[in-house]
Amino acid sequence: MNSPDEPLEVSDARCVEHSRDGSPEDFRLLVQRYQRPLFAFLAGRLGNASEAEEAAQESFVRAFLSLKKLRKPESFYAWLLGIACRVTRERFRDTKRREQVRAVAETLQAAAESGPAAEYPLEEVIAALPESYRRVILLRYYEGLSCLEMAERLAMPLGTVTKTLSRAYALLRQELRACERAEQSVNNTLNP
Amino acid sequence: MNCTECRDTVAADLEGLLAAELARQRREHLAACETCRAEDAAVRRLHERLAAGARDAQVSFVAPVMREVLRIQAEKERQSLMIKSMIRWVLGLGAAGAAAAIVAISLLAPSKASAKAEEILIRGAEAAANLHSVHLKGLMRTPPADNFMAINPASDFAAIEFWWQWGSEVPQAGATGKWRVEKPGRVALMDGQTTLLYLRPLNYAMKVARPTLGAFDTGWLVRIASLSQALTNELENAKAKGWQLQVSAETGADGRPKSIVTVLAKSGLPDNDYLKNKFFDLADTRRVYRFDDGTAHLEDVAVSLTTDAGDVKVIELSQIDYDEDIDPSVFHLDLPANVQWDKEPQILPDNQKYVAMTAEQATQAFFKALQNSDWTEAAKFCPFPFNQQIRDAVGGLQIVSLGQPFTSKVNEAQFVPYSIKLKSGDVQTNNLALKRDPKTGRWFVDGGF
Repeated sequence: MNSPDEPLEVSDARCVEHSRDGSPEDFRLLVQRYQRPLFAFLAGRLGNASEAEEAAQESFVRAFLSLKKLRKPESFYAWLLGIACRVTRERFRDTKRREQVRAVAETLQAAAESGPAAEYPLEEVIAALPESYRRVILLRYYEGLSCLEMAERLAMPLGTVTKTLSRAYALLRQELRACERAEQSVNNTLNP
Repeated sequence: MNCTECRDTVAADLEGLLAAELARQRREHLAACETCRAEDAAVRRLHERLAAGARDAQVSFVAPVMREVLRIQAEKERQSLMIKSMIRWVLGLGAAGAAAAIVAISLLAPSKASAKAEEILIRGAEAAANLHSVHLKGLMRTPPADNFMAINPASDFAAIEFWWQWGSEVPQAGATGKWRVEKPGRVALMDGQTTLLYLRPLNYAMKVARPTLGAFDTGWLVRIASLSQALTNELENAKAKGWQLQVSAETGADGRPKSIVTVLAKSGLPDNDYLKNKFFDLADTRRVYRFDDGTAHLEDVAVSLTTDAGDVKVIELSQIDYDEDIDPSVFHLDLPANVQWDKEPQILPDNQKYVAMTAEQATQAFFKALQNSDWTEAAKFCPFPFNQQIRDAVGGLQIVSLGQPFTSKVNEAQFVPYSIKLKSGDVQTNNLALKRDPKTGRWFVDGGF
């Protein structure tokens, strides 16, 4: 739901531009918008909620420090995931972490040998969606809005929201299939 | 309906928003088109995966990130007086000043009161960080066995109690520990492995075979009990949504100075929304937090509904114990041997007949089953068991009237107004909440009965 004082939905590009122009409060909207999908992405990689939360906070702060380097402000989320990947890699460099990684890798290897392949991280695929589709997926799932609330927040007819969401599902499925096929192909190459 | 239309309506169908005629056309198309059927099933799996992923990611760390961002920004712009003030808060200098002040602060200008409230909330959040257990005890105006979120200013106060223990875990978002919420007719418990709900009057239990934070509508209590996060969230919400903050000071019964922060929270729902003020998260409330100035600990919380007719206190958390040793038996529940466990709804041989019903038709059929004391038929619409007490009360009822279904902005349920006459002669008038079960597609009673 949207309180009267809540800012209207602002595009990622606009938030990035305002933040660069010295208005860090606009960065708050980006943190609110992406904290949950970023946390889910990192929790999947790190396998530990408190580490994922620390890494997510660090990723946001680094993103803020590097905003001027972002070439495509509309791709903020995909760029943020890239930063998050670097943060996790750096954490893994620590010796202690390497031990944990080895344990995780062994677990993953055992799982790979005994069960179906792990699912491709949804958050990466969501990041690749055009903004209008990404926005409805994030609002519906990560902010928990109903379609009616989204219609109000986005100032769109309800039918447009449900149609956009339907098409977002179709695109997500298409992208997921492509990513999983690509991953399978890599796995087959590495483990013929 | 063609394939494109079928795929473009999957979201509306999933959310129960498709008009009856379109839903019928879509079902017919799916029955005839294998490709669309496969696509529909895949989207439903994707929906479940997205929902599960998002459920596990209910975190909020806007406050610490923004504190750091503002600090960085402040360092860049040291010349700004406003930013200098923010640096003071981040470094805790403002907080030290707050502890020394034992004056009535409510006379401060609104912007200064807001800044002071912010300081107090931040101090409270910091003082509640890294706890290993929390125990909350209080009263709530709520029907004793009803949903944990339900508030009703017309109900008497019922005792409510919450325990949360993290053990050696650091109590941050994502760490689960063990918790228990209890009110007279209902208890929810998470023992580190599974999450359990037991409804005493029905002798009915439900289990989620994994640790959760907030299953069975306990999420708002879990959020409150995570005191540090709760105070941070309150501040974030107040800033983002423009909620008014007030501060005052007083000497407590223990002779120590206390700071009181009042938050005027707005649900954002229009006054005519049916669910407004029926659940904690959907209510316009005045929340009064009392902190000890010395320890910065939150000592009690009072929540009142704010309506045009005046304020009604609905929640009073009068006891907050920090880091007490909690008896391990709190996180264990012995259920009666004859407890009835929740059963997942099954697809019926004549399921389609029920799927084709509108919400109004389902309401009619449900009450008709009760009228005929046909408990097998009634169970097709209601997940809860009909024990003898309920059978005696509702068997043989008469339908007085049914109205047109309506919806709320915050829930996908359809609400069907009804009036029924029980055998006792009592007339019950309410709105039956119905939701479509995602697996069977049938309408199930979700409340209002």
